[in-house]
Amino acid sequence: MKVYVCLKQVPDTESKIKVAADGKSIDSTGIKWILCPYDEFAVEESIRFKEKNPGATICAVSAGPDRVVDALRTALAMGCDEAIHIALPENADSYLTAKSLARAITKSGTPHLIFTGKQAIDDDAAQVHQAMAEFLSLPAVTVVLKAEYSATSVKLDREIEGGAIEKYEVATPCVIAAQKGMNEPRYASLPNIMKAKKKEIKKVTLAELDLTDTDTKVSYSAMQLPAERGACKMISGDVAAQAKELVRLLHEEAKVI
Amino acid sequence: MYWAIKPFFVFAAIAGSFSYFIFRSKILLNTLTSLPTKADRSDHIPSRIKSVFVDVLGQRRVLKKKAPGIAHTMIFWGFIIITIGTVEMMVDGIFRGVNLSLLGEAIYGRYLLVADIMTLAVLSGVCFGFFRRLVLKPAYLKTGVDALTVLAFTAGLMLALFGMNSFRVAADPGSTLNQYFFVSGFLGNIIHQSGLSPDLAFVGSEVFYWLHLLLVLGFLMYIPRSKHLHILAAGPNIFFRQLGTSKAMIKTDLEDENATSFGLGKISDLSWKGALDLYACTECGRCQEACPASLTGKPLSPSNLVHDFRTELFAHQAAILAKKTEELPNVVRADSGVTEDVIWACTSCRACEEVCPVHIEQTTLIFESRKNLVLMQSSFPAEMQTVFRNLENNFTPWAFGSDTRADWCRDLEVKQMADHPTAEVLYYVGCAGSFDDRAKKVATAIVKLLKKANVDFAILGKEEKCNGDPARRAGNEYLAQMLIKENVETLNKYKPRKILTGCPHCFNTLKNEYTAFGAQYDVVHHTTFLSELIEQGKLKPAVGADKEVTFHDSCYLGRWNDVYQSPRDILKAIPELNVTEMPRNKNKGLCCGAGGARMFMEEKIGTRININRTEEALATGAKTIAAACPFCSTMLTDGVKAKEQQANVQVKDVAEILAESIT
Ligand code: SF4
Ligand code: SF4
Repeated sequence: MKVYVCLKQVPDTESKIKVAADGKSIDSTGIKWILCPYDEFAVEESIRFKEKNPGATICAVSAGPDRVVDALRTALAMGCDEAIHIALPENADSYLTAKSLARAITKSGTPHLIFTGKQAIDDDAAQVHQAMAEFLSLPAVTVVLKAEYSATSVKLDREIEGGAIEKYEVATPCVIAAQKGMNEPRYASLPNIMKAKKKEIKKVTLAELDLTDTDTKVSYSAMQLPAERGACKMISGDVAAQAKELVRLLHEEAKVI
Repeated sequence: MYWAIKPFFVFAAIAGSFSYFIFRSKILLNTLTSLPTKADRSDHIPSRIKSVFVDVLGQRRVLKKKAPGIAHTMIFWGFIIITIGTVEMMVDGIFRGVNLSLLGEAIYGRYLLVADIMTLAVLSGVCFGFFRRLVLKPAYLKTGVDALTVLAFTAGLMLALFGMNSFRVAADPGSTLNQYFFVSGFLGNIIHQSGLSPDLAFVGSEVFYWLHLLLVLGFLMYIPRSKHLHILAAGPNIFFRQLGTSKAMIKTDLEDENATSFGLGKISDLSWKGALDLYACTECGRCQEACPASLTGKPLSPSNLVHDFRTELFAHQAAILAKKTEELPNVVRADSGVTEDVIWACTSCRACEEVCPVHIEQTTLIFESRKNLVLMQSSFPAEMQTVFRNLENNFTPWAFGSDTRADWCRDLEVKQMADHPTAEVLYYVGCAGSFDDRAKKVATAIVKLLKKANVDFAILGKEEKCNGDPARRAGNEYLAQMLIKENVETLNKYKPRKILTGCPHCFNTLKNEYTAFGAQYDVVHHTTFLSELIEQGKLKPAVGADKEVTFHDSCYLGRWNDVYQSPRDILKAIPELNVTEMPRNKNKGLCCGAGGARMFMEEKIGTRININRTEEALATGAKTIAAACPFCSTMLTDGVKAKEQQANVQVKDVAEILAESIT
């Protein structure tokens, strides 16, 4: 029984993002890359699944440049059994990523479950898991908080607006995209970190998947940073004057009312 | 007839009990030597010998606690002197007439006088012991059957000795030796005057001879399994002790391919020195009395910890001796007394180690247990996971980007080592000084003072990383070593002549723990550096804003590194500033609660340590609580707020107080 976890390596939340000289990508110097926190929930969920289903093999898959190997090692240290690295260029879009993941998974063995995070915290696109499910012709449920597994189906709780829960029962194989709160990801023990360092990470090229780096639907024309947040403005005077000034500022300066 | 058979019985009794004693002691010794974990304590032999003189014969630490200290010293010295007589008694029992009287009456008489007085001294000490355990009953003192048995044995021994000597005097009232018996002579005269015949008195003395002998031998057999084992182990433990004040945590070899476990999981992971520590404990409870965790209702008591580890060691002695330790359980578990809550409650303040009369290293047990929990079992307080992540990704325990590390001094014109590698002083700011809003102000004050004194300094900026203390003290040796190695590389690139730190934790780690990783530098805490600048006349404090001040000692400056004076010197150098000491100051200072990575953990059990300390500080009436550590400052500031005194009392770093006194 094969279980996959698809993961992305993203800049650390505290990294200062700078636009690269080409104006179309980010400058990756000085960026600390981490395993996307949502994908971490997915990794944890897959390991917990395996703890209850010892026959399962968990395969971590990541598509991206060579640096993503570190994210795969993190997943291996947490408890994944094997890992596949799909070599993709830095700026690959969600379409190519999803397609390459789908093909690599198909090649590697029929999935029983595919876990992933609900979105990556860098571009926040939240597209890959659904596109990948589409390419694999599998059902996908995203923003999942809870899963109960049985032999042929999974009962899922999905968070929707306002904290309400939708309940699903989905036949396996299926794609499950984790929301924060699905579990508490574990901290890898030292022996597992050491073992992970020695595990082989299988590298797959686009050519092996019958794809090329031009199989994209989106290209970036320009990137820019959001405007710097201005300093706080303090309004003084009595309450009536303050209210008046506030309305004027919202209307004239911020132009929101 | 009696004289013909006595030697055989005496010999048989001695031979039997000594064999048993040696048999038991051998097991204890073999247990030590069967432990595979190494500990090297073969250095500085002269200092070690000196320490035995001072702390064993001189009872230096024992005497730190007045009444029990004096009582113990009387018992200790009394026993040593009386033991000479006890050996004499045994020899004389076997070879009649072979005794100290052969040395001539002048010497023998004096010995008898001293021994007789010492018997009284021991008896008084024991009486005080009973009084303390049965009437005074201080909370930190455990009084079990063991403690009372030991006292009863000792009392019985002394009484038997008096009995034997008194009846001897009565049996031979004309003997010239009688004049030397101070107490027994007095008692002997009473017996004599009561009309007891010398023959019967002789029988009485022999009865007491046997009573004394059997008590001695019984005691001997009792020792190896009791808390009285300390009379065998304390001496060696003091000889092999951690010398000096400063110490480094054990550097675990994480690259060891053959290691199956790291840190202290099973009891068999102890080193021989760790086991010797356990043997040496006298259960005096002094460590518990000083421990901030115990004082605030946490499940940790260092003396219980040592006791529970010892129970575990004795329970698994057979497995250790047979070297079949694979199946042993971890010491830290729900039913061993040493629970995870116990291990995580420690602030690593070393108050316990400071007061322990036999130099036991309690923090080693705690640090090594934490290592095992984190590295092998990934088990630690949930809050620490974020801290570990931040340290891994941004080299600071807080969630700030590493490339903003030097942002605090953007407007201060501070040079960086990369641009000014020859700077005389490398100012190692630390994570708090770099990121914490409150501590940034302290760092700013330090910069102001350095500039005022024309010190040629530079910081590492983005090249600086957390020194490794929070990770290391929280048991994450792997992460700590990663940080340490990266910092060592940076430091060795610049080879600074002096490193100035703004935090006692940076100070301690850089000074004491980096040497094992190949970086040995002259490291100084800012209070020492600034007090030197004052002494050299480079800083001239004038009257400042703070007048009534109390100073809180940081554990990592004081008990870890013996820096008590410099912060006080700075405060003293400021005119019109008056320092009122708290009752618990210097090496008796109470921890703020933040050490041992407790800064980053929640304090859910018992009362809060920082409140306890803040109350003490507020009671001095001072308007300013001075600290020399960013973590202490945070803890005390929180304490002042909790006591709703923030309008009246401020917490400031000594550097800030000084900076405000210099225009
Ligand atoms: S180091 Fe401090 S907190 Fe830890 S056991 Fe010793 S006295 Fe208690
Ligand atoms: S560890 Fe030291 S201070 Fe604590 S009870 Fe034992 S001997 Fe006393």
